[in-house]
Amino acid sequence: MFIDFFYKLKNLGIPVSPTSFLTLHKALETGLVMSLDDFYTASRSILIKSERYFDLFDQIFAHHFKGADLPDPSEKELSETIRFLLEYWLRDPKILADAMGIDENKLAKLTPDQLVEYFKERLKDQDGRHDGGNRWIGTGGTSPVGHSGYHPGGMRVGGISRNKSAVKVALERRYKDYSKRGPLSQAMMGEALKRLRNLVPEGPKDKVNVDASIYQTMKNAGEIEIVFDRSLRDRLKVILAIDNGGWSMEPYVKTVQTLFDYAGAQFKELKIFYFHNTIYDNLWQDPGRHRDHVKVEEFVRFDPQTRFILVGDASMAPYELLARDGTIYVHDRSTMASIERLKFLSDTFVHSAWLNPVSAKMWHYTPTIDMIAKIFPMFELTLDGLEEAVKHLAAGHN
Amino acid sequence: MTDHSGLSRFTGASRYVLDNELAKIVNISMALEMPLLLKGEPGTGKTMLAHGIAESLGMPLIVLNVKSSMKLVEALYQYDTLTRLNDSRFGDSGRDVSNIENYIRMGKIGRAFTSDTKTVLLIDEIDKADTDFQDDMLDVLDQMEFDIIEIDKTVRAKNRPVIIITSNAKKDLSDPFLGRCNFHHIAFPDDRMMRDIIHVHFPDLDNNLAQNAIMAFFKLREMSSIEKRPATRELINWIRAMSADPDFNPKNLDKGDIPFLGVLFKKSQDFARAATTLARTRLF
Repeated sequence: MFIDFFYKLKNLGIPVSPTSFLTLHKALETGLVMSLDDFYTASRSILIKSERYFDLFDQIFAHHFKGADLPDPSEKELSETIRFLLEYWLRDPKILADAMGIDENKLAKLTPDQLVEYFKERLKDQDGRHDGGNRWIGTGGTSPVGHSGYHPGGMRVGGISRNKSAVKVALERRYKDYSKRGPLSQAMMGEALKRLRNLVPEGPKDKVNVDASIYQTMKNAGEIEIVFDRSLRDRLKVILAIDNGGWSMEPYVKTVQTLFDYAGAQFKELKIFYFHNTIYDNLWQDPGRHRDHVKVEEFVRFDPQTRFILVGDASMAPYELLARDGTIYVHDRSTMASIERLKFLSDTFVHSAWLNPVSAKMWHYTPTIDMIAKIFPMFELTLDGLEEAVKHLAAGHN
Repeated sequence: MTDHSGLSRFTGASRYVLDNELAKIVNISMALEMPLLLKGEPGTGKTMLAHGIAESLGMPLIVLNVKSSMKLVEALYQYDTLTRLNDSRFGDSGRDVSNIENYIRMGKIGRAFTSDTKTVLLIDEIDKADTDFQDDMLDVLDQMEFDIIEIDKTVRAKNRPVIIITSNAKKDLSDPFLGRCNFHHIAFPDDRMMRDIIHVHFPDLDNNLAQNAIMAFFKLREMSSIEKRPATRELINWIRAMSADPDFNPKNLDKGDIPFLGVLFKKSQDFARAATTLARTRLF
């Protein structure tokens, strides 16, 4: 019974064990499970062992018992794009029609539903034929469209679910906020902070633990055994460089900054710099990027053990990264290609990481992300990614 | 309907507002005789649930507060060598010094096992302990027996206790541990639920005050960039503080005038941030 359901859970990445599946059947025998509602509650509490998977479970349950749509990231990305297109269409039909190479009048005759369908077809078309042709459609995944509205307002968690069917409850996706997927948001601050708190240096094991030594020695029947602990190390210095230019980074700048502000006390030193898209001759100390600049060359004066963390979507036109004078600001002449600057920084600081709010699945669609990921180890700006990045940054002392 | 465990069903308690989903999970866990692992934000009533179950089923409650340095054997039994030494020196206690069994004291788990009636065993904040402790403990709870090495005796559970385990999710629990428990995550109550909870705690509270306080509370919780968001416990204390203050007028809450902010925000950074946010913007 429910073997399909079990494998569906397993195949979509929820760790479920056969033992727990058998337990579920034991539960069914007790006679306590009388309805689909009961089955939902029972199967979730027995099969699923972490709230992180509640959201996915809800979706799969709704799919299995009611035929709701299965989670499919590309589908989501697409519908967000379409919503964006529609908004754009309402604002200025002509530009859109031109960009897509279709007749404005023809579009005007369509009903909203038909319009959506039409956009969908066009987008699928576009995906298949060429990427990056019409830029703002091609990069749709990484642009505002991919991320806007991914976390609709606040947490909605229900206490009483008496009057709703299990499928409806499942469809509500009450546990969405606990899911580990999706970019970092202010709501996840506490969780993210816990991850960041792991960013502590690891000293060598060279301090004798007297109590444990005595205990172990007694256990060894008097044969002396000395137990060592890790000695405490000086705290880490951290430089944070944030891409705060442009709307694509807008939602993340504040989150990241608050995150590091809070964690600030645990670091010996925390410096924050700003850049737009990529780094040229200078990094800026003021968010407006025009008052206090620090030349990139001067970064050699910092302790090379400083953890250098960059936050940015790394998405730009290739020339911005590769050309010698690639900056998009006229007043900001540069003497060296940005990619050289980045290499210089990654050589200067042994421990560095680039946090990218763009979902890792989409990285290959933007050439500049690939290029930068070769220079800096790149991580997703999600709870999982943050965990990885912290692991990477904390490892390797001296 | 057959009830294998022969227990009465758990339906709620006088001081605990239960949602239906959770009641089902508790009943299934009791029927399967599996420990129930509860996770959730602090203040969502994980510990209170165990009290509620004990009260509603009329069973004694035994609480094991896990500490980070705890060894499993402490939770099972203790061999009181000091008293034995003392007795052997002075010998006026009437205990037989040569019988070690007289100096074995049961720990919390041991007491739950040896109790003549069925008990509710609450193992609070299991995540504080290390993984070895957790796995070893689950072995004991699985087998329902443990050995007392000093007297070479096996203690078997007379009655299988109802086991509730809570975790604040500071650390992830190990897979074998999770495999042996049923799991539930208690979400933060919504405002309807919260009103019920407040009503249980303050039956004669002025409706107006309760309404305004809960609304303000949820607005404050939504405030961004707060490390430790106020939970149910804070709300209850806050309401207690406000009803104790003779000068307090619930209408001021409407105007965004929040008294006793320190009751709600306990981290200094959070407090400062909340205070500045309140000064700058109006809540309503």
